[in-house]
Amino acid sequence: MFSNYVKIAIRSILKNKLYAIINVLGLSVGLAIYLFGGLLSDYEYSHDSFFKNFDRIYTLRGNVSPQANIGVSQIDTVQSAVGPFIKSDIPDVDAVARTILREFLITVGEDNYYQSVRFTDPELLKIFDFDFIHGDETALDGSNGIIISETLAQKYFGNENPVGQSITLDHENDLTVMAVIRDIPKNSHFNSQILMSTPLGILIPMRAMERITEFQPDTNWGNTSSGNMTYVLLPPSLDQAWLQTQLDGIYERHMPDEQKEFMDSFEVRPLADANTAIWDMLGIPVITVVKLLGIIVLLIACVNYTNLATAQSMGRAREVGLRKTLGAGRTQLLLQFIVESLTITFFAMILALATLEIIIPLFNSATGKILNINYLNTLPWLLMTTMVVGILSGSYPAYVITKTSPIEALRDTARKGRAATIIRAIMISIQFTFSVCILAMVLVVYAQNDKVEESSRIFPKDQVYTLDRINVDQMTDRHEVLRNEMLSIPYVNDFTLSSQVPYEQTNSNIRASKILNDFSQTVNINQLNIDDHFVSTYDIPMVAGRNISRDIAMDTHLRSQGAVNVLINESAAKALGFSTPEAALNQVFYEDEKEKGITTYTIVGVMADRNILGLFNSVKPFFFFMRDASYRLASIKLSKNAPVSVVKDIEEVWHGVYPDYPMQGKFLNETFQKVYMIFDMGTKSLAVFAFIALFLAAIGLFGLAAFMAEQRTKEIGIRKVLGASNNQIVRLLIWQFSTPVLWATPIALILAYLASGRYLEFFAERIGLPYGMLLGAGLCGLLLSWMTVATHAFNIAKTNPINALHYE
Amino acid sequence: MLKLQDLTKAYRTDEVETVALNNVNIEIETGEFVAIMGPSGCGKSTLLNIIGMLDTPSSGHYFFKDEDVAGYSESQLGVIRKQHIGFIFQSFNLIDELTVAENIELALLYHDIPAAERRERVAAVMDKVGIAHRAKHMPSQLSGGQQQRVAVARAVVGNQSMILADEPTGNLDTAHGQEVMEMLQKLNEEGTTIVMVTHSPSHADYARRTINLLDGHVVTESMRSKI
Ligand SMILES: Nc1ncnc2c1ncn2[C@@H]1O[C@H](COP(=O)(O)OP(=O)(O)OP(=O)(O)O)[C@@H](O)[C@H]1O
Ligand SMILES: [Mg+2]
Repeated sequence: MFSNYVKIAIRSILKNKLYAIINVLGLSVGLAIYLFGGLLSDYEYSHDSFFKNFDRIYTLRGNVSPQANIGVSQIDTVQSAVGPFIKSDIPDVDAVARTILREFLITVGEDNYYQSVRFTDPELLKIFDFDFIHGDETALDGSNGIIISETLAQKYFGNENPVGQSITLDHENDLTVMAVIRDIPKNSHFNSQILMSTPLGILIPMRAMERITEFQPDTNWGNTSSGNMTYVLLPPSLDQAWLQTQLDGIYERHMPDEQKEFMDSFEVRPLADANTAIWDMLGIPVITVVKLLGIIVLLIACVNYTNLATAQSMGRAREVGLRKTLGAGRTQLLLQFIVESLTITFFAMILALATLEIIIPLFNSATGKILNINYLNTLPWLLMTTMVVGILSGSYPAYVITKTSPIEALRDTARKGRAATIIRAIMISIQFTFSVCILAMVLVVYAQNDKVEESSRIFPKDQVYTLDRINVDQMTDRHEVLRNEMLSIPYVNDFTLSSQVPYEQTNSNIRASKILNDFSQTVNINQLNIDDHFVSTYDIPMVAGRNISRDIAMDTHLRSQGAVNVLINESAAKALGFSTPEAALNQVFYEDEKEKGITTYTIVGVMADRNILGLFNSVKPFFFFMRDASYRLASIKLSKNAPVSVVKDIEEVWHGVYPDYPMQGKFLNETFQKVYMIFDMGTKSLAVFAFIALFLAAIGLFGLAAFMAEQRTKEIGIRKVLGASNNQIVRLLIWQFSTPVLWATPIALILAYLASGRYLEFFAERIGLPYGMLLGAGLCGLLLSWMTVATHAFNIAKTNPINALHYE
Repeated sequence: MLKLQDLTKAYRTDEVETVALNNVNIEIETGEFVAIMGPSGCGKSTLLNIIGMLDTPSSGHYFFKDEDVAGYSESQLGVIRKQHIGFIFQSFNLIDELTVAENIELALLYHDIPAAERRERVAAVMDKVGIAHRAKHMPSQLSGGQQQRVAVARAVVGNQSMILADEPTGNLDTAHGQEVMEMLQKLNEEGTTIVMVTHSPSHADYARRTINLLDGHVVTESMRSKI
C-alpha cells in the first residue's frame, strides 16, 4: 500500500519537474543550513566531553564593570591570585588549578623553537585525565620537571623516549621532561580558542614560574591576559550555583578595591562553555544565532514549499475530483499528498547532506575544526527532521485540496485567498527586504575592503621583509652586524629597525604637554622607535625639517639625558597646535615619566601623514625617535625585481649573525593580511548568506506568483477578451507579482543605507556614500524577482481565455 | 459582416478526436440579430468562440469584413477583436475586485483612450443600461440582472459593432432575462450586430434569424418575418 503511494508520488513529481526541482532545492537549502547549525552547535558543546570529569569541571571568568570601558563585558579569565583563595577558603572542592600561557624560545640540543607553554598547578592532572605515554601524574611534583605532548616529543626528540632529557627556555633555564601525554583531540578548549591557536604543548609547574619569569602568580592581581585559566573540580554532590556563591564570597573578602572597579564579579561556567568564551566576551551568542538562523531558514523554506504546493494542488483539483469519484477516501488522499511532500523532503534531505559533505571539509580547513556528520548517531535526528518537515509542509496543501469538493476547495481558497495572499506577500516582502539589504551590504563591505586594500599599498608591503623578535638582550648588541650583513645581500636596498611596523594593531602612546611641569593639558601621541632608515625604507616623504641621524648625538635617546630630538607626523603637528609643519620645527614637548623624570622632546623634522596602523584606523598623531635596544623588528626593503630566493639569502645571513635564534621572518603583506583576513572572511560569509537569502526569497516569490496566477486566471481571461494583448498582460502580471519586492526594495535600501553608514563609520578612510551600490543591489533584487515571476506571467498570458472562462 | 465557409473545428485529446463543428457555412450581415440554438454539446459555444476570435478553426475560411482571418495569429486576432467585438457571458465574468465603473472602463483600457474620455463614455453607457446609481458598487453587491447589465455595458462601451452573447440569460430569472433581452434588442435597433446563443425559444424570438445546430452541423435556419 505504502509503496503504491510512493510510486504515485514519484510519478506526480516527475510530471511537474520544474516545481519538483524548485521544491527540492528550496527545502534542501533550508535543511542544509538547519543541519549545519545543529552540527556546529553540537560540535561546540561537545568540546572536552572526552575528559572523565567533564561535567564536574568549571572555569572562572570575570564580568567587566561598565565603567572600565574596555569594549567587552566579560573576559575569559580571572587574576591568578584568585586560585589560592579557592584552595584555602573552599575546602569542599576536589581540585583547583590555574594555567598561565607564555611564549619562550626553547632550545633542544642544537635546535631552537618558539613555543607557547603553560605554567600550571600540579592539580591540573587531577582535573584532566591526560593520557600518559611516558611518565605519570607525579611529573609536575618537582620544580624542574615538565610534561610535553606527543607531537612536541616527536618534534624535539624524534622517536626516542624523551623522559629525562632536558630543554632550555630562553637560553637560561634548564627543565627536564618527566612525562609525555597523548595529543588532546581538536575539539577541546585547549586547542580551539578562536583568537589564538595554542595547543597544549608543554606544562611547567607553577612554582617554577617566578624563578623563570619574575611573575608572581599567587599574589598577582594585575594581569588578566586572555587564555589564562582557572579550573575547579567539584565533587559530584556540588553544583555550579553552589560554587558561584562561594566565589562571590571570595570576591567580597579578597578582591582588592581597585580591581573591584575593573571587575564586577567572578562568573562560574561549566567547562563545556570554555571554547565559546570569545563570543560571550563580545556579547554575541554566535552559536545560538547560527542555530536559530538555521531554524528560521528552514521554516521559511517550509512556508515556501507550502505556498508552491498549495498553488500547484489547485491546478490538480480535477485529478483529485476524479480520484474521489473513483472512490478514494479523504484519508487516502491526505496520505497521498503527505507521502508526496515526504518524498520531496527526502530528496531534499539527500541533497542537503551531499551539500554538507562538500561544505564541511571546506569549513573545517578554514576554521581548524573537525566537524563531521556521524550518520550512525545522527540518523534518528535526520529521520525526525525529514518526517517533521515533510508532514509540516505537506499538510496544508493536502488539507486544502482534499476538502469535500475540489471545486469548492478552489472557490474557498480563492475567497479566503485575499487575506492569505496578503500575509504571504508580506512574508515575501520581509524575505526580500532582508536579502536585498544584505546584498547591498555585501557590495558596500566589498568596496570598502577594496578601499582598505588600496590604501594599504601606500607602504611597499610586498617589498618589505620583516624580522620579528630581535629585542632579546643577547641580540641587541649585534643589530649593527645584522644591518651590515643584510645590506650586503644583492637586491636588498634598505634596512631599518623599529619597535613596530605598519599594520600592527598596537598603540603605545604618551601624554604630551607643550608646557614644562604642567601636565593638566595634554595630547595623546603614539610613540614609535625607529632608526634613521625608517623613512627611506617605508617611502615616507619629509614635509619639513630633516631626518634623524646617527651622527647627531641628541638624535638618539639615552635614559640619562632626559632629552632627545624627534620626528613627528603632520597629524601630531596639528594635535600639538602648530599651524604648519614648519612652525613645529625646533619646538619642544614634554612627557612626565613620573619617577624617571620629565623627558624633553625636540621636533627636528615632520613626516608626511602615513597611516601606520592602517586598515580601519584613522591616521594617528605619531612621534618617532631612536633608542637602542627598543627595536623589536627589522625591516628589509628588497628591490622590485628581487627573486624569491632572496629570502633564503636573508635566512642564511640571519643564522650567521644569530645562530642561537630561529628567524621569525615574513613579508609585511602577511602582517597586513592577518588583520585584513578578518574583513575578507566577513565579506565572504556575508556574500554566501546573501546568496542563500536571495535564493530562498526567489523561491518564495515563485510560489506566491504561482498561487496568485492560479487565483487570477479568470480575471486575466476577461482582460484578454476585452482586448488586452499578451504583452500587456505579461507586463501587468510581472508588475503585480513583484509588488512585494517593490515594497521591499526601498525599505531594504534605506536599511542598507543606514547600516552601511554605521559600518563605514568604523573606517577612517572610507568609500563615499555608496548610492550606486545600493541602487545596484535594489536593481538586482528587482531583476531577480522579475525573472522569477516571468514564467508564470508568460504562462497565464499565453493561455486561451476561453479555458479560464469555460467552467463558470 | 462575416462569412463562415466549410468551417470545421476538431478537438484532439488523448487519441480521441471530437469534431465540435463540421463543415459549417454561415453568413451574417451587418446589423443582424442572430440566435444560435441546439442541444447541449452541439458546438454552439465553439462556434461563438470562433466567431469571437477567441479560438481558431481547424479548417475552412472565416471572412470577417471580407478579410479571411482563419489563419491569423492570436495577436492579429486580438487586434481585430478588441476593435469590433464585445462579449457577454452566462456567468457575467465581472472582476470581483473592481467597482462597476472600473469593470466597464476595463474595456476601454486597452484602446489608448485618454482617461477623461474614458470616464465620459463609461458614464454615458451606464446611463444607457440604467446602472449609473450603482457606479461605485462592487459586483457582489448587485443582483444577477444588474450584473449582466454591467456586462452588456462593458461589451458596448468601446463602440463595438458586434456583440457575442453566450447564454446571456442562462443565470437569470424570467423578469431579469426579459430586461437583458430588451436591452440587446435596443442595441440591435441602434445598429449593433448581435449573435446570441440561447436555450430559450422565447428569447430566440427577439432575433431576426435562428440557426439550429446539431452535432456540429447547421440543420435549419429560420427567418422571423417581422413587419
Ligand atoms: N477544449 C475542448 N477540448 C475538447 N473538447 C471540447 C473542448 N471544448 C469543447 N469540446 C467539445 O466540443 C463539443 C462542443 O462543445 P460546446 O461547448 O461548443 O457545446 P455547447 O453547444 O456550447 O454546449 P452547452 O449548451 O452545454 O454549452 C462538445 O462535445 C465538447 O465536449
Ligand atoms: Mg455552451
